[in-house]
Amino acid sequence: MIRRRKIAIWLLVLGTLHAIVICAGFFAPYNPIEQDRKNPYLPPMRLHFVDTQKHFHLRPFVYPFQLRAGTFDQYVEDTAQPRSLHFFVAGAPYRLLGFLPARLHLFGAGSERIYLLGTDAFGRDQFSRLLFGGQVSLLAGLFGAAFTLLIGWFVGTVAGYFGGWRDELLMRIAELFLALPWLYLLFAIRAFLPLTVNPLEAFFLIVAVIAAVGWARPARLVRGIVLSAKERDFVRAARGFGASGFYLLRRHILPETSSVLLTQAAILIPQYVLAEMTLSFLGLGVPEPVPSWGNLLSNLQQYSVLVSYWWMYLPALLMVPFFLGYLGLASALQESPEPYKIERRSLGSLA
Amino acid sequence: MEPVLKVENLVKRYAKRILVGPPQDFLALDGVSFAVSSRSTLAIVGESGSGKSTLASCIACLEAPTSGNIWFEGRNLAHSAESELRKTRPQIQLIFPDPASSLNSGWSILEIVAEPLALQGKLGRKERELLACSLLERVGLSAEIAARPASGLSGGQRQRLAIARALTLDPKILILDEALSSLDCSTQAQIANLLLELQDTLGMTFLFITHDLTMAAHLADEIAVMSAGRIVEHGPTPDVLRNPSHEATRQLLAAVPQLPRSSWPAIQQ
Amino acid sequence: MMRYLLRRLAHALLLILGVSVLAFLFAALAPGNYFDEMRLNPQIAPETLTALRVQYELDRPLPLRYASWVNSVLHGQMGFSFAYNSPVAPLLLVRAKNTLLLTVTATLLAWAIALPLGVWSAERLGLLPDRVISWGTATLLVIPDLALALGLLVLAVRTHRFPTGGMVSLDSQSLSAAGKIRDLAAHMALPVAALVLSSLPLLVRHVRAAVAEVLQAPFLLAAEGHGIPRLTLLFRYALLAAANPLLSLFGFSIGALLSGSLLIEVVMSWPGLGPFLLEAILARDIYVVIGGVLFSTIFLAAGNFLADMLLYWLDPRIRMENTSR
Repeated sequence: MIRRRKIAIWLLVLGTLHAIVICAGFFAPYNPIEQDRKNPYLPPMRLHFVDTQKHFHLRPFVYPFQLRAGTFDQYVEDTAQPRSLHFFVAGAPYRLLGFLPARLHLFGAGSERIYLLGTDAFGRDQFSRLLFGGQVSLLAGLFGAAFTLLIGWFVGTVAGYFGGWRDELLMRIAELFLALPWLYLLFAIRAFLPLTVNPLEAFFLIVAVIAAVGWARPARLVRGIVLSAKERDFVRAARGFGASGFYLLRRHILPETSSVLLTQAAILIPQYVLAEMTLSFLGLGVPEPVPSWGNLLSNLQQYSVLVSYWWMYLPALLMVPFFLGYLGLASALQESPEPYKIERRSLGSLA
Repeated sequence: MEPVLKVENLVKRYAKRILVGPPQDFLALDGVSFAVSSRSTLAIVGESGSGKSTLASCIACLEAPTSGNIWFEGRNLAHSAESELRKTRPQIQLIFPDPASSLNSGWSILEIVAEPLALQGKLGRKERELLACSLLERVGLSAEIAARPASGLSGGQRQRLAIARALTLDPKILILDEALSSLDCSTQAQIANLLLELQDTLGMTFLFITHDLTMAAHLADEIAVMSAGRIVEHGPTPDVLRNPSHEATRQLLAAVPQLPRSSWPAIQQ
Repeated sequence: MMRYLLRRLAHALLLILGVSVLAFLFAALAPGNYFDEMRLNPQIAPETLTALRVQYELDRPLPLRYASWVNSVLHGQMGFSFAYNSPVAPLLLVRAKNTLLLTVTATLLAWAIALPLGVWSAERLGLLPDRVISWGTATLLVIPDLALALGLLVLAVRTHRFPTGGMVSLDSQSLSAAGKIRDLAAHMALPVAALVLSSLPLLVRHVRAAVAEVLQAPFLLAAEGHGIPRLTLLFRYALLAAANPLLSLFGFSIGALLSGSLLIEVVMSWPGLGPFLLEAILARDIYVVIGGVLFSTIFLAAGNFLADMLLYWLDPRIRMENTSR
């Protein structure tokens, strides 16, 4: 019971996070592609409740930035022009879930701009780019994991159920794929595909490449389960009633694989999100101007950005909750349904 | 009377091939021959590793023998095609040694008993349920527990369930592969009596595989002793027990725990 | 013993061969090649391009190209780089040395930290030290590798403590031997830290799990009853008994570290295989890419082979299984 509750909690956490990203149009104040060339590399605007006259305002507000006199890369808050945050405002049009036209945003400041995470080189709002980028990266991770698991499930079942030369062949091929460090394999496959593609093609390309890399481990796991399930007495008994192979697989063997597939899903999705991020970061993934979590961080490769605009790193920290959610889910799934207490064997207890 | 099952010279060899080096074969059955008459019980006894379970698998058509014949209802099961075998398998049912693993513990009791019927697809759902419940009662389980998950049953109850499931397809032969070995003594006795009763009413033939000579004596009309993949002795129960001719039989008899003379069981009849 | 060794070696070699075939197959399916970019340049005559293609054998059928590539490997050249106009092998070897330096150091350091931490956690299962370590590793695990590397970089820049790129300083030639080593170490600090921190959580967890399971075993209780001191028990008895899963983990961790090093080298401008491979990919220099991929496979196979040998030496059961009766 405890395990089920833990799983439910983590699913709730993940669901909420994903819902925010799915409804990025609503939660983000601006279009991620919109540029504001006059304000590149702005630091994050801090939320204030108390103004310079020590008055408390219920409605939070921010100060815009202006260049510190004598420098061209240091900003100070311009306390003369506070901008209030309004909630549920109408803003730039977007399509909720990809097809419902809408204009409502969670917050905004009318015609003024609010940059909660600052801006990038082109003056684009980092916060909006984070949310929209999440759509791309998380979706790539989810699709990639789904395809990998599908391939691995199929291969593992064929290898485990039929055995013989099919098993040998498939497992040898799996070994080949496992013999390469996965990132090298990813790069190699990506290398041999067209480099300049439009964002949609790039997305599918990445998903396909990611899926092609990781099928070997799930395949081995599924194979193991199918092999052992095949020899279980209740499967032999079912054969004794005249069951066909297909029936055995459907009713008895494949249900045994469900738990390992779920656990693998929780482990693989964050890995694949990371894979997409890595590819995009290095320019081999989703190209500009479409935001992705990798793109978001790619300008940190420039030394000048590291020195002067270190806040460009902040979006990376906000990605952590997603990974935390998947890790928590994977841990909860891997706990045995009836956890027995491993006795702590502390040495010296005999004394 | 024509025997219901006739086994001729059954050989089963397991080949172990490694990439380099000579293949190491394991000979599980080395020319086994016997016949079983209808409505009788043949006990096959032997120590672990003598090939009893392999024999059971081959007769139940769950494994193909390397060579030899298995005659059942005019057909040679050792040389039949898979489609033929699939039709024949329901006639020869196997009860496994470990009741925990022979039932899919995620399923409910009703699902387990009704599975063979559902597979055959001849009856509707209601009819299947009725038949299943009646069989449950037959083996001494109450039909009320039908909806419960099978994981809550005790060992003896599980074997009853396994027997009920085997009976759904009206088999001619029931092979009990060490089916009582994992149960405690009193449960063993109960199920043994159930089996005797079923044989009387349903006219079934039993193949009772065990290493327990006492149980064999209680249930079987004939005893066959197996050693190292061969049948070394075969005859009516009283004869084999009183005048064992083979060393293996003598060793098995010697292993039976001796109670004081005054309370010797029927083994001495 | 020799037979087992030869068998594992043959296995590794077959694997490397298989990977090379796979890599070549991918290259064959690849659209575009190095000279496509040049095609766009109106100043280069199409005849020149055709001549170049013939020179680099790009128009021959695939099996022949593979054969001539294998031939080139056996001659120590590993194909030809279009961008650098030189055989691939020397280019890769230089970079590979740097990558090895990084990866080996990181592997040793990571295991040197993970083993004591894992054993300590296993011994104090459920108590405060275990909890603290579990939380620490969970935190590390949750931060994606990319974010970790970049975060370290940001920290380095803000604190001006560590150099943020390259392998040696510009004036390293003029330093003394000790100075050179210190300089190298300073440059290695960040990449190694990033690699170690990213691989530590998984290692600690697995060591902890393996050792905790062994600590349950009755033979350990018996050994303690004989009066064997605690540290000996932990490291010579428990750890050795857990050698089997841990050595498999070792093989796996090398693969993970190699992958990690690819990214971290690029992020931190460490002149290893990573940035070189990336450059080759962007330039479509296929023999370099194949060569780089092959190198990484060789490292991984070597690491696994090492793990196999270690296990053979440590675990008598494996020795028994593999000596002919």
